Amino acid sequence: MEPMTLSRLDPFDDIAVRLDNVSLRYDTSDDVLSGIDLSLKQGSFTFLTGASGAGKSSLLKLLYLALKPSLGEVSLFGRPTGRLARDQLSAMRRRVGVVFQEFRLLEHLSAYENVALPLRVVGRKDADYRGDVEELLAWVGLGKRLHAKPPTLSGGEQQRVAIARAVVTQPDILIADEPTGNVDPEMGSRLMRLFLELNKRRGTTVIIATHDLGLVRQVEAPVYRLNNGLLVRDVEFGGDGAAGRRRTDPAKAED
Amino acid sequence: MARETPLLPVEDAREAALFFVVAALCFLAALAALSAKSTYGAARAWTAEVEGELTVTLQDVDRRAAEDARKLIESTDGVASAHLLSKDEIDELLEPNFGNRGLPDSLPLPQLIAVTADPHVPDMGPTLQRVLTQAGYNSAVDEHADWAGDVRRVLAITRLIALTAVALLASTAVAVIAFATHAALLARRDIVDVLHLSGARDRFIASLFERRFWVLGLRAGAVGALLALGAAAAAIFAAKAHGGHAGLLPELSLDYLDLVVLVLTPVIAGLAARIAARITVIRALKSMM
Repeated sequence: MEPMTLSRLDPFDDIAVRLDNVSLRYDTSDDVLSGIDLSLKQGSFTFLTGASGAGKSSLLKLLYLALKPSLGEVSLFGRPTGRLARDQLSAMRRRVGVVFQEFRLLEHLSAYENVALPLRVVGRKDADYRGDVEELLAWVGLGKRLHAKPPTLSGGEQQRVAIARAVVTQPDILIADEPTGNVDPEMGSRLMRLFLELNKRRGTTVIIATHDLGLVRQVEAPVYRLNNGLLVRDVEFGGDGAAGRRRTDPAKAED
Repeated sequence: MARETPLLPVEDAREAALFFVVAALCFLAALAALSAKSTYGAARAWTAEVEGELTVTLQDVDRRAAEDARKLIESTDGVASAHLLSKDEIDELLEPNFGNRGLPDSLPLPQLIAVTADPHVPDMGPTLQRVLTQAGYNSAVDEHADWAGDVRRVLAITRLIALTAVALLASTAVAVIAFATHAALLARRDIVDVLHLSGARDRFIASLFERRFWVLGLRAGAVGALLALGAAAAAIFAAKAHGGHAGLLPELSLDYLDLVVLVLTPVIAGLAARIAARITVIRALKSMM
């Protein structure tokens, strides 16, 4: 893999993710998200928690530019996304790696081809990235399953393919929705180390949505909680020993 | 190195059905185009042949007087040749009506003169009629160009109908492909979403569908064109096998222009499929963020 540097980040933009008074509603429903302000610095590591249906996935969709907010503005890398041309949005999405909760692997492609997909999309040649992709798949424990199709992989294996696909481009932002939900604790820790490594060595901004408080305790990182469409920060939650000292600050969630 | 798997999976059943529909439409369109072209060719050839042809019928004259009339006609300005038909030639003309045993000698027959005139000289019929009447002949001049005009009008309408059919069939093929592309897009929404969120540009995603439907259009068009060629060849063979009575039908033959039509059919089908796919996909993607 190429050396991990911060060179791809814009040195003049300190904020990787910014949400200003963002609300979201689907059709005629009530607001799924309401008046959310959030600002995440480049190179930050953040957890997002909340009960099922609290709006975590909707918030993540706003962050990986699958949805437009009904109100407010989502900015990535210092640029408001609402005014970008389609090609500019595509270019921005290339800087964001996403691990979907339901994996969203292409079933007719092999594990190798699924991981290589974001590289193929930007026109890179197989010969250029083959070594990197194989190394990454080996790292997530799938070195011998390169040619297996997703339907033949277990849930945990599919999840690891999805994670490898999200990080293969070494994105500036990594968004993961329940990334360790289907793997054993050992593999969960291994994957967390991968995220941390990307965060520390490359400066990738990592946002992880999870129910797994054990996972949250592994990392000293701010935790935001969604509750009825509102985002609040669990001020002292994070890392080993933080459990039990948890309290909630209903003020604006600012990192 | 293994070949890359296409990002859009092959959908055999759906594409086989679409292939059949597009091939059938291309077959009908190619056949209609060949008909339009052959009708146009037939109208031109047939009218060019009969324009300038006249038949003079002389009543109550013997063969010698008829020969004098022939000379008079031939000396008229604008007449290229005049031929007095023999008894045998008249028998042959009337064979479809009276059989091949010839006409009884007792049956009074007019003398017939076949005239070939310059088709660019106007009013040749009335001119000959006047010359013969002034010379004292009881004659009737039949100008083939009179009913050639009627035939030309009928052929023009036939050609218009054939061209309309070509346009309708081509539009139908484009609409069917657009519909199929939309269905394919909906069926593969999962793939499109992943590509889209991986940073694929709209034209990259559209190009996947374009390539798929370009190839489908080319292949289906080629099959349709080959079937049309077979049908045209069968029609020509059938017309010729039934002994030259195809004279009143459009000219049934295949020339290089027909081959151009047949070669263009798959190319046009492929391009139409490609453009329909592109427009459909780009429009659908614009509904996504």
